Amino acid sequence: MATTADHFQAHGDGHGHADHDHKPSFFARWFMSTNHKDIGTMYLIFAIFAGIVGGAVSGVMRAELAEPGIQYLGFFARLVGDNPDDFNATLHMWNVLITAHGLIMVFFMVMPAIIGGFGNWFVPIMIGAPDMAFPRMNNISFWLTVAGFCSLMASAFVPGGTGMGAGTGWTVYAPLSTSGSVGPAVDFGIFSLHLAGAGSIMGAINFITTIFNMRAPGMTMHKMPLFVWSVLVTAFLLLLSLPVLAAAITMLLTDRNFGTTFFDPAGGGDPVLYQHLFWFFGHPEVYIMILPGFGIISQIISTFSKKPVFGYLGMAYAMVAIGVVGFIVWAHHMYATGMSVNTKMYFTAATMVIAVPTGIKIFSWIATMWGGSVEFKSPMVWAIGFIFLFTVGGVTGVYLANGGVDDVVHDTYYVVAHFHYVLSLGAVTALFAGFYYWFPKMSGRMHSEFLAHVHFWIFFVGVNMIFFPMHFLGLQGMPRRYPDYAEAYAHWNYVATIGYMVMAVSIGIWLLNILYAFVAGKKAEDNYWGEGATTLEWTLTSPPPFHQFETLPVIGETAHH
Amino acid sequence: MAGTKNHDYHILPPDIAPLATTIGALTFTTGMVLFMHKMPGGAFVPWLGLAILLASMFMWFSKIVGEAHAGDHTPVVQLHQRYGMILFIASEVMFFVGWFWAFFDFSLFPSTIAEVVGGQWPPKAIEAVMDPFALPLLNTLILLCSGTTVTWAHHSLIHGDRDGLKKGLWATILLGLLFSTIQAYEYIHAPFPFGQNTYGSAFYMATGFHGFHVIVGTIMLIVCLKRAYNGDFTPRQHFGFEAAAWYWHFVDVVWLFLFVAVYVWGGWGYPTH
Amino acid sequence: AVFGGSAAARAAEAASAGTAAAGYTPMKPTPGIGMPVPGAMGLQQQFSPTGEYGAWIHHGLLWVMGLICLFVLILLLVIVVRFNRRANPVPSKTSHNTILEVVWTLLPVLILVGIAIPSIDLIAKQYKPAPKTALTIKVTGNQWFWTYGYPDNGDFEVVSNMLNIPGQPVINNGVREVGSKPWDGPSHLEVDNRMVVPVGEPIRLQITAADVIHSFAVPSLWFKLDAVPGRINEKVLVVEKPGVYYGQCSELCGAKHGYMPIAVEALPRPQYDAWVLTHAGGVIDSRVKAAPAAPAPAAAAEPAPAATAEASQAAAGDATAAAE
Ligand code: HEA
Ligand code: HEA
Ligand code: CUA
Ligand SMILES: [Cu+2]
Repeated sequence: MATTADHFQAHGDGHGHADHDHKPSFFARWFMSTNHKDIGTMYLIFAIFAGIVGGAVSGVMRAELAEPGIQYLGFFARLVGDNPDDFNATLHMWNVLITAHGLIMVFFMVMPAIIGGFGNWFVPIMIGAPDMAFPRMNNISFWLTVAGFCSLMASAFVPGGTGMGAGTGWTVYAPLSTSGSVGPAVDFGIFSLHLAGAGSIMGAINFITTIFNMRAPGMTMHKMPLFVWSVLVTAFLLLLSLPVLAAAITMLLTDRNFGTTFFDPAGGGDPVLYQHLFWFFGHPEVYIMILPGFGIISQIISTFSKKPVFGYLGMAYAMVAIGVVGFIVWAHHMYATGMSVNTKMYFTAATMVIAVPTGIKIFSWIATMWGGSVEFKSPMVWAIGFIFLFTVGGVTGVYLANGGVDDVVHDTYYVVAHFHYVLSLGAVTALFAGFYYWFPKMSGRMHSEFLAHVHFWIFFVGVNMIFFPMHFLGLQGMPRRYPDYAEAYAHWNYVATIGYMVMAVSIGIWLLNILYAFVAGKKAEDNYWGEGATTLEWTLTSPPPFHQFETLPVIGETAHH
Repeated sequence: MAGTKNHDYHILPPDIAPLATTIGALTFTTGMVLFMHKMPGGAFVPWLGLAILLASMFMWFSKIVGEAHAGDHTPVVQLHQRYGMILFIASEVMFFVGWFWAFFDFSLFPSTIAEVVGGQWPPKAIEAVMDPFALPLLNTLILLCSGTTVTWAHHSLIHGDRDGLKKGLWATILLGLLFSTIQAYEYIHAPFPFGQNTYGSAFYMATGFHGFHVIVGTIMLIVCLKRAYNGDFTPRQHFGFEAAAWYWHFVDVVWLFLFVAVYVWGGWGYPTH
Repeated sequence: AVFGGSAAARAAEAASAGTAAAGYTPMKPTPGIGMPVPGAMGLQQQFSPTGEYGAWIHHGLLWVMGLICLFVLILLLVIVVRFNRRANPVPSKTSHNTILEVVWTLLPVLILVGIAIPSIDLIAKQYKPAPKTALTIKVTGNQWFWTYGYPDNGDFEVVSNMLNIPGQPVINNGVREVGSKPWDGPSHLEVDNRMVVPVGEPIRLQITAADVIHSFAVPSLWFKLDAVPGRINEKVLVVEKPGVYYGQCSELCGAKHGYMPIAVEALPRPQYDAWVLTHAGGVIDSRVKAAPAAPAPAAAAEPAPAATAEASQAAAGDATAAAE
């Protein structure tokens, strides 16, 4: 993606004028922000915090699963105020942990980081805009995400049925989440999603408007960097899928508290309806989490191959295709609900279609590198890791797409393995790739490339060790959402837990690297990655001025991808 | 140079409204949990949250009006607002898709197992439904009518007829209030209860959310009317008004779907009341 | 003859026809059959026609998935070796190649069509409705146990709880695996009262739930169907060989979701009937059973020595052992 700003006077804007850059006072800057970069920074800090919380929760989970039996749940149940003698409350704690883990990782780690964080920081810059279209609304999107997180945290400390906290799974299926969970916990959880969802819808409106209306002169749609394309498609998915979730969880709320019977069979309601509504949101949601990652990977691959992206238009429209088809495959999560044979066949076929545009992306990335002069800087190593790991997760998705085959692995660890490969090894790897790619740009300080490489390799070994054995467990029939399991599953669970410890070391190295950058990191140049980096953020200082592009850059005719 | 802006976008100073609105929203949702579970504070925390929420939204929207006067709403910024409003309405459409989905699920595949439903629609437990061609039809006409009056107001505005603008808005608002009143009357006199079975659930939640949107739309129009009296809006620049009008039309269209699907088709051949 | 009842089953049936149905002793499970195997990496061995078909597709898919991953990995390694900065200092400028782009669009399409054909066929087979005369068993998920109703056998009901729920009073005294009682099965999987079914014939399972959603799942029989309150889900189960097949609830249903296992014990008809008669109100299903479909060729009749042997052993065992 070479969208060089031919007539852009980088030096007229900010360079050496940092002191002219009037920044608001601390409180005004961080609590009243209308600046996309500051808001992006807050999103990133929040996401890192949430990621550490969600990762710690998964650590507790892995510890519990290290061997059969119940070891640590009682301790955590007591911590939130459960009766120590109540075995059901102890077991309920497991469900609370996985629910919190799933929701935190999805809504409060990946989405804020990849859309709120990187999207906010770089979409305006990449299209040559001074800020987002609605800077004030941008801020409430962020604060609502924080409010959602607070509501979710509150839910852990109030009764939720069999014990403290919401133990419904991140999918919040009725009637477990209605008649099966008396007490305020699930209501706090529902409102958490309402708040975070409202924030995301506003964010989506903001991104779409920004991308459609604020492109710099000459920056046509077909010249936009692929990261911008990816955020555009993602924003549409958010805009059209989240309101359906809002309706679904509102039905949960009224079923729980006001006597409606949407999902209550006694009143003629249908628990499977909830699943349809949830997955109509839920499937687009998984692409919401990965598409911006695709965008990041495209930028990185092109930069470090010193080549324009191969098949740019195909890449952009493949994402559009993934987004569109993503709306008509939702029921592949429901093969076991007893749907009709024809429905099952349709969803099998439709789901498999998505492998085609995704394949186009994988192969175009490879073709971009092919013939390139590839430099294995840390973002590139993460990006290559992403391509492989995402492929592994993707093909197991195709496996699951087969309705007849899914019957045996549905709701087993095979599914857990699939979605961690695309999320914890896919989306998170893309996040780290983006992090190393842009961290010096955002902070003005270089990280240690050495530590970044070490981080990658240890992480790579660790996460594969956690999640690859889960395929075996799933095929052998180990069900999901179990705190305790048959002896036969002990071996691979133990391996997975060891893998977690390996992975945890890598997260420590990453945090150390951040610390290093701020304490001893070199000052980052404007374009520290060199000639391959051609998008507009590299024409700015590191960090960019508080307000960039006060004179809009003009994208020349000659600039192309 | 830094600090000199050479573009027409709207760069905003720091603002407390987003955080204040969020605090209002979180207080409100927390209060609702307390209220629904009869916990301490349930009686007033939701109101407190609502008050903060409304106050900060009022502050927020007032600022927008102020910015419009200050000339911050350049053509490109107005274009943003148009996009924003269209997208917002698109998301609202999807919200109603959820409720219609539930309605059609229940009406096309009524439960055969639940005794209250007995495999039929409307369910067995429902003795009578509303006569769609009585008050609901009247309401349909009222809303359609209000759609034309708001267009009247718009045309007047474009042609510099301030009086027509005010009259059109007054008419629309009154029709909106009339609609809400009739709706409230209907709810009170409906021959079936809220909840308890799929009919009561789908009917009240779908029409109720529509009613809520009517009220929001009416408030938007009232604000526009006030602004019209204040001398706001020019024939060329009046997006605040247009947004309200769009929203009003959207509410109108949703009602048409509700009327046809829920009232007419959904109660076809059933005793009415 | 996918649903035609296996030869092995009928052989077992014939073998035990003489030992009239006098009583019932829970069968001792065969280690590694119908249950997970320690450290195993693949599917459980399959004991139903759909399971065998499914396992075949599974193996095909493993190859497809493995080769695709390998292909991508090899391309990446080639890039690392050939197109690194030192090996290739001047990057090419190619950014289009129509033929290549068409190929990598069409090839996946072909692969997917290749997958879809057997896969859709499997779905069709799996959901073939049961013959009218098939035995019906009603399965109900409850928090947190299963109940099995036998409407064709006098409509008695079996309540099935996990054995030895940790932290709970011991339900049935016994050590797991090599226990003091013959029906002590693997940890977390054995139950006090199993769901007993006749082997080799299609059985109509009607599945529902009393409270929240559960899911009736038995991996070695390729069976999983949600138990949804307010719905009755129906699907055919065919067990080809006598034996005990374990499964677990597979939809999150609250605190003890992990502690409501399923144990299906498949017995030849005479033993099944004997089991039926051990229940108050149990009557032998007198309706005419559909004659088994055309006998499977002898070559296809892989005997399952362990399972069959155990079955006949158990059947021949002392009836008094059945007293719980
Ligand atoms: C980032 C998130 C993400 C992504 C990208 C995907 C991608 C895909 N997912 Fe996944 N999925 C989840 C997150 C994700 N998923 C989650 C969270 C769940 C569980 C939810 C829950 O129950 O809690 C889930 C569950 C899930 C199920 C339900 C399983 C079950 O519950 O029983 C299914 C079934 O069809 C499925 C399918 C797919 C498919 C076909 C893709 C495809 O998009 C993959 C396409 C990619 C490739 C195929 C690889 C690259 C392509 C090539 C190299 C070309 C050549 C390939 C072929 C010809 C095959 N997913
Ligand atoms: C993005 C989503 C995501 C991520 C990253 C993870 C990460 C991990 N997950 Fe999880 N998981 C889910 C989503 C995710 N998970 C979901 C949706 C479920 C289903 C829940 C349910 O059943 O309802 C689930 C369920 C689940 C289970 C099954 C529980 C059960 O069924 O009983 C297990 C078991 O081991 C598990 C383990 C782990 C582990 C060890 C990690 C480790 O990889 C964690 C290590 C941590 C990280 C790798 C994150 C670090 C990131 C940051 C610190 C932020 C970085 C930010 C920037 C760079 C800006 N997860
Ligand atoms: Cu019953 Cu899970
Ligand atoms: Cu999906």
